[in-house]
Amino acid sequence: MSDAPRRSTRLNKNQEEEKAKAKAVDQDVEMEESPAGSSTDAPKEKVLGAKELEALVIADIKQHFVLFTKSAKTHEARFAIRALRSVSSLRKRLTAQALAKSIVGSYGKDDEARKRLLVYLGSEALTSITPEDEAVVSKYDTPEVDVYLHLLVMIYLLDKGQLEKGIELSNITIKVVQELNRRSLDQLAAKVYFYYARFYELTGRLAEIRPTLLNAQRTATLRRDDDTQSTLINLLLRNYFHYNLYDQADKLVSKITFPENATNNQLARYMYYLGRIKAIQLEYTESHQCLLQAVRKAPQNNVTAGFQQEANKLLIIVQLLMGEIPERSLFRQPVLRKALIPYFQITQAVRVGDLNKFQETLATHAATFNADKNYTLILRLRHNVIKTGIRMISLSYSRISLRDVCLKLHLDSEEDAEYIVAKSIRDGVIDATIDHEKGFMRSKENVDIYSTNEPQHAFHQRIGFCLKLHNDSVKAMRFPLKTVNQDAAEVEAARDQERTLVQEIAEADEDMDEDHDEL
Amino acid sequence: MAVVEIKRLAQALSKEYNTPNPDLAKCGQYLSQLKIALIELQYLTHEDKHNNIEELTLARDVLEIGAQWSVRSKDIPSFERYMAQLQTYYNDHSELPASPLKYNLIGLNLLCLLSQNRISDFHTALETIDPEQLHNNPSIQHPIKLEQSLMEGSYNRVWSSRSDVPSQEYLFFIDILMDTIRNEIASCSEKAYTSLPLKDAGTLLFFTNMEDILNFAKERDWKVNPVEQKAYFHSDADEKISIPADQIIKQTMFYARDMDRIV
Repeated sequence: MSDAPRRSTRLNKNQEEEKAKAKAVDQDVEMEESPAGSSTDAPKEKVLGAKELEALVIADIKQHFVLFTKSAKTHEARFAIRALRSVSSLRKRLTAQALAKSIVGSYGKDDEARKRLLVYLGSEALTSITPEDEAVVSKYDTPEVDVYLHLLVMIYLLDKGQLEKGIELSNITIKVVQELNRRSLDQLAAKVYFYYARFYELTGRLAEIRPTLLNAQRTATLRRDDDTQSTLINLLLRNYFHYNLYDQADKLVSKITFPENATNNQLARYMYYLGRIKAIQLEYTESHQCLLQAVRKAPQNNVTAGFQQEANKLLIIVQLLMGEIPERSLFRQPVLRKALIPYFQITQAVRVGDLNKFQETLATHAATFNADKNYTLILRLRHNVIKTGIRMISLSYSRISLRDVCLKLHLDSEEDAEYIVAKSIRDGVIDATIDHEKGFMRSKENVDIYSTNEPQHAFHQRIGFCLKLHNDSVKAMRFPLKTVNQDAAEVEAARDQERTLVQEIAEADEDMDEDHDEL
Repeated sequence: MAVVEIKRLAQALSKEYNTPNPDLAKCGQYLSQLKIALIELQYLTHEDKHNNIEELTLARDVLEIGAQWSVRSKDIPSFERYMAQLQTYYNDHSELPASPLKYNLIGLNLLCLLSQNRISDFHTALETIDPEQLHNNPSIQHPIKLEQSLMEGSYNRVWSSRSDVPSQEYLFFIDILMDTIRNEIASCSEKAYTSLPLKDAGTLLFFTNMEDILNFAKERDWKVNPVEQKAYFHSDADEKISIPADQIIKQTMFYARDMDRIV
């Protein structure tokens, strides 16, 4: 990603955070009874001292332990998912001290993992441990808690930029995860792999982990572990893309099936990668569909700006390559406006069919396009510019000499113009004939479109789409089993739970977006 | 075979190949011996990690000569095999010293894909090339420009690109490309003109003698009028437009079934 959009996303994020804080203050008044709720933490930063804050973090981590244990015992993934959702809010508040205290509080004194994790946290954390922390040890016998603590330490190291340490720890954690064959670990494993790849990417050693990822992908597929599978597929694709190995990426895609139950966030990424592969292979229609899905599935807020910008850039080029002009309103969206300026200029050049302007824009923004890895795709647009130019000429003149065509389109020679016009006629861009002896091109009369089968095709497509939409929505409907006679308290509790869930979903989305920004 | 032996053979091969008039059959013999030797040491299969830079470079150089040799002896499948093997050396062994022939061969490969009309492979291959080289290296720029001209329809430029090829090996593929282009032009002309004087058809198709033109016209089934010296093309105006009854019935049934489900 280039510098400019990155900066703008940062800015957006700051604004977003401020807004969130302001909102949280309002909520604080209403929700005073639930001090541990994650939404109330933001304003508390001002009110509470460091000590209380730390206590809160530790309490949150403890609560997550309970959730993971519950999830493992009841074989219900949703508890684990719930805990993982709030990791994003936790991430901002993580401190070495809080982590150290949680670790001390949950491992036995001679546990190997305990020693290991504490070493990674650094000496500062060690000194903060007081004997009273060590006094209360509530041991958890589920490995989920162990992996979760590893994950938290990994995130902490990532945020502190201690990449080498992170790589070491992630290698160890991956080993732990691979040795344990537990379904209740799936969601955690996906996260662990994500950060594992992130560490290697930041140190520029992505190529090294490809075999590990491929192996893990195979295992995850065999175990029908949807979360890990979808994460790993995206990581692998990203890995290949990093080295421009589209050939291998395409082969991978042709040999896998993306899990249907994958989360929207993973699906959006997958669709984006797929769209890029298809665009490079000149399958623009498919690419367009994939990218459209990617844009629509991605959460629409300011924090996903990075992903939205990238996906939309590609989408614009693919649309142009298909001979369509993207809508003007797309370029006006506040999130996208700044990042899309070079693409907007290219679009203008293509729309008018001005070859000179196109070359100029290409030259001025070459660095941006290269950074976006879109340069070669944009190069392909050159002949679209010429096509549009010819179409404009054919529409405005019923007869024009080839010499004039040559001058208008800034082509090399009249012979070239003749070949180009002949090719456009064959490709169906214009409906015309060339008179070679007299050297002019004559446009044919416009055919009445309603005398052809075209309208019928168009209608069929639309009807088909509507029917599919109806069928899909019928399929997607769910009917709750128990709706009778819930008493008031139960309703109240359910509502509360719902409210926290909604909040957590919103936060998880933000989390996804942050990760995306980093990508 | 030991590494020393391979070195000796490779030297003999490069000596033979770099003479002004290499004996292609002899080079072929050297190459097949070398390939067997390399396979025995697993340089082509990469089952073991090799770390000796000198030996890896040696294996790469042999493959490069092999690729060029294939072009000279006009063996496209063999060229593609050599290129596929070379990809590993170019992409995954960044520790090797850069080969002077690398971009020349990649350019050749691009041209090879182009001449077979494998446009999507062409673009995939293009993406793996370093952007710096993409803009500045003449061996790479040549096929890129060629592809652009082809897409636009500036066949004139394709024809003139023959004169400024980066290396002799390129000509082999460009000649194949010419045949493809001629057919392209012919199919364009059929649609664009109602009739064309034979002489002009000759210039359009880059033919210099009348006989070739007539043969070509026969191949493409053009009606040649010897008196006027003109070729007439079929026009598609007299094609009948039929009602796609079958398709419409199917569609309507499909609507009926789905509507029934809704109501």
